[in-house]
Amino acid sequence: MKIFKKFTATALTAIIVVTASFAGIAAAADSVKGKITVNGSTALLPLTLQAAKEFQKLHPKVKIAASGKGSVTGPQAVKKGIADIGACDWDASMDVPGFKAFDGQVANKVAVIPFATIVNKNVAVDNLTTEQLQGIFSGKTTNWKEVGGADADIVVITRAFGSGTRVNYQAKALAGGDITKKSKNYKETGSSGDMKTAVATTPNSIGYIDLVYVSGGDIKAVKFNGVAASTDNVINGSYKIWAYGYYMTKGQPTGVTKQFIDYVQSKKFQQGSLKKLKFIPIAAMK
Amino acid sequence: MGAPVHNLASRVKGSVTEVTADSKRHGRHLLSNTIFKYYFLFSILALCFVLGLVIIFIGKTALLLFGHISPADFFLSFNWTPEDEAFGAAAFIVNTLSLTAITLLIAVPISVGMAVLCAEIAPVWMKTFIRPVLDLLVGIPSIVYGYLGLTVLLPFLRQISGQSLGDGLLAAALVLALMVLPTICRISDDAIVSVPRKYRDAAYALGSTRLQVIMRVVLPAASRGIISAVILGMTRAVGETMAVVMVIGNTPQLAKTLFTPTSVLTSNIVMQISNVEFDSTWNYALHMMAFLLLIISFVLILIIRILGRKRRDAA
Repeated sequence: MKIFKKFTATALTAIIVVTASFAGIAAAADSVKGKITVNGSTALLPLTLQAAKEFQKLHPKVKIAASGKGSVTGPQAVKKGIADIGACDWDASMDVPGFKAFDGQVANKVAVIPFATIVNKNVAVDNLTTEQLQGIFSGKTTNWKEVGGADADIVVITRAFGSGTRVNYQAKALAGGDITKKSKNYKETGSSGDMKTAVATTPNSIGYIDLVYVSGGDIKAVKFNGVAASTDNVINGSYKIWAYGYYMTKGQPTGVTKQFIDYVQSKKFQQGSLKKLKFIPIAAMK
Repeated sequence: MGAPVHNLASRVKGSVTEVTADSKRHGRHLLSNTIFKYYFLFSILALCFVLGLVIIFIGKTALLLFGHISPADFFLSFNWTPEDEAFGAAAFIVNTLSLTAITLLIAVPISVGMAVLCAEIAPVWMKTFIRPVLDLLVGIPSIVYGYLGLTVLLPFLRQISGQSLGDGLLAAALVLALMVLPTICRISDDAIVSVPRKYRDAAYALGSTRLQVIMRVVLPAASRGIISAVILGMTRAVGETMAVVMVIGNTPQLAKTLFTPTSVLTSNIVMQISNVEFDSTWNYALHMMAFLLLIISFVLILIIRILGRKRRDAA
């Protein structure tokens, strides 16, 4: 029951934000009208809400309803015809570990999401290589001194299987390596917020999170193969742990849905609001 | 219902017009009574309808599971690895039972002790202070308890146990014990207060000490009420999600020690339900776990009803 309340609350908030932004605008003569439903990833929800607000200001006759749940619900809702756009943290038109491709769906890139390996502030290690991370998350490396730190057990904190962050981190940081559950010093968390709290409060812990969440003095981001986690390093190509955020559509987008996606991909939105929300514009990646 | 009694006198000596006014009023009463009767009936039927829908929909989706895997694979296997299509829920079931048992082991002695204090021993000013405080504790949202568990209890457990994580059954049981404590205490308190005074008087007249009166007379006489209180606490412990999910470690495996990061039925559902596909064995397995929780709480409530009936018969 609690979980349904949570979803309802999220959905309501989304609807309230969208309608509130919609209400104050005088209806101008506009040929663009219709209804767009966006479902899926919570990581992309702030971006979608901001874009919806701006798009509806331009085209008052368009109604956009956005809600967030899990990444996989996005392409699923599109498949079932519930949503026009499914926001997803991975390209759902291809197979990823644990999830089969959604046939006939087109992935439209809308943003670049950087991720960071984070450790508790008491951990002395400040750089980890792909091999070292594979060792730690697969459970072969269990002590910090094996990777150049103090003599203390490594506490692995991970996201539950099925999380978009986990899919991307496994693919990029672990090069497809496993995250193995252990009988001790291992914990799963349900959201980015929980991940941050858990790493911040557990000494000797390691985890991973969207880069935008890295702030405050209790956690720190470690370098990956010698490169610091920063948006600049993502853009210049040296930092490899990042992924595109996608809007999945059934076939090529058409009509007002296409116009909305075009707006999200437009230079104005990408360089403006999207950057303010700490995503990286897709045009920055070459 | 007939005409109101106070109108009878006026009707006997009254004129024709008064009688018509009276019968009009009578009709009005009948009408409003009928309307309200149907309104109340509708309310309860609406509730039953919703409850029925919940059972049917959860159950329907849950039973689809057995088209994919056998009941033995679900109930008897300890291997829950959705990525390898292994959906054994035995670990969660055992963990849920052991978590509830540990919680009650901690909470029952303390809360019954507090109930005895409130009902029998404490002076009036103390009672009038403790009871509202306990009622207040019931109202605190579970997420608050969970957050305190994560930020206060876990570091403390790490310190005294030497574990580097601290998550597990013990942490969850301590948080849950705090949550069910007021429930068990207040209901036991009521049960003890309602033990007739003559029992105590008789025991004292026979020369019992206060401890003997409490242990041998009052507690046995209130035992059914106390058991109901414990079961009510149990339903809360079995169904609690948000507080547990923050301190239990959320790792689908059997808890072999008090500090093994583990998962129970509720925490596993809440962790995974947003990441599953609609038409997947995984989704059906999670629904089956929800259905199981539903059945457990029905059984517990049923036991309370039966106990309550026996208590009325005995009284």
